[in-house]
Amino acid sequence: MLMPKKVKYRKQQRGRRCGKAWRGSELAFGDYGLKALEVAWITDRQIEASRVAMTRTIKRGGKVWIRVFPDKPITKKPAETRMGKGKGAPEGWVAVVRPGKILFEMGGVGEAIAREAMALAGHKLPIKTQMVSRREFL
Amino acid sequence: METLVLEAEIRKDKGKGPAHRVRREGKIPAVLYGADKGSVPLILSPRQLGNLLRQGGTHAILQLQLHGEELTPVMVVDFQRDPVKGTLLHVDLQRIALDRKMHVSVPVVVTGEPRGVKEQNGVLEVITRELEVECLPLNIPTHLTVDVAALGVGDHLRVADLQQLLGEKIHILREPNAVICHVIMPKIVEEKPAEVEAVAAAPAEPEVIKKGKVAEEEESTESS
Repeated sequence: MLMPKKVKYRKQQRGRRCGKAWRGSELAFGDYGLKALEVAWITDRQIEASRVAMTRTIKRGGKVWIRVFPDKPITKKPAETRMGKGKGAPEGWVAVVRPGKILFEMGGVGEAIAREAMALAGHKLPIKTQMVSRREFL
Repeated sequence: METLVLEAEIRKDKGKGPAHRVRREGKIPAVLYGADKGSVPLILSPRQLGNLLRQGGTHAILQLQLHGEELTPVMVVDFQRDPVKGTLLHVDLQRIALDRKMHVSVPVVVTGEPRGVKEQNGVLEVITRELEVECLPLNIPTHLTVDVAALGVGDHLRVADLQQLLGEKIHILREPNAVICHVIMPKIVEEKPAEVEAVAAAPAEPEVIKKGKVAEEEESTESS
């Protein structure tokens, strides 16, 4: 699973999730990409599940790029615990994804295979997604 | 060559609010600058601009028609798009002098199936998708075509190879050794059995970086 090697603080506040992804919203490496249409916290497990689904579909050809990284720690209190007594223990890692963000990119495969792989990857995510391809201008 | 005329009107109100109002009417705010003259805020029709650019390419020379003024040769040098819908939000137009060389970035288009992909199961990876070139406005190519049919696994194509094909009219502003594309063997990721994966997935916390002050204090005590 993806997670940071070093962090400055073990726990973080939740933060705001409003707005659009003004950065990372264009294809940078591959010919096809999967764009997020909703806002979400994407966990490291969901990213891994999508990656596995894509690499299995394209088999030995092609290349996959992951454009998001789960760098935000998520904490959780144990079950049947009373409120208070401080913040819970770190439980996992998420990436904050806003609408417009390119989550994955793919290159070296045909459009039909890329579409199938992206659809499977999209099903592993808790948000609506859209496949995008390179276009000249409009 | 067909003259591409882009009609525009001058935008009187500037700022965020008026720009939103322009977009609500189905038009887009734009700005015209360059050629040692002042900047002029404009209003354009995104539909007309899109049609013209599809006709002439991204670096097409457009003739800007402002109300009651002569045609001005301009070029789209920058634009902003909505990250979700992909619609145009704002366009930068630059006045151009046809006798002065310009710097523009031109997309690289790869054609053909490499020998390494067809016969050796390699993967073609395009490293450089845009190149900045220097040339006269009338010589700006819509794209730079690269034929990769002869590339085997481990072969690559560099900027110097493309420059030889282009000749002297178009000069690529990039180091000659920069790689445009290469054919590589794909990495085979061995899938671990489920038990191993479960052990690996056990939550391991990353190292927490100590505060800067503590480290500095430690250093100072050691030195004293």
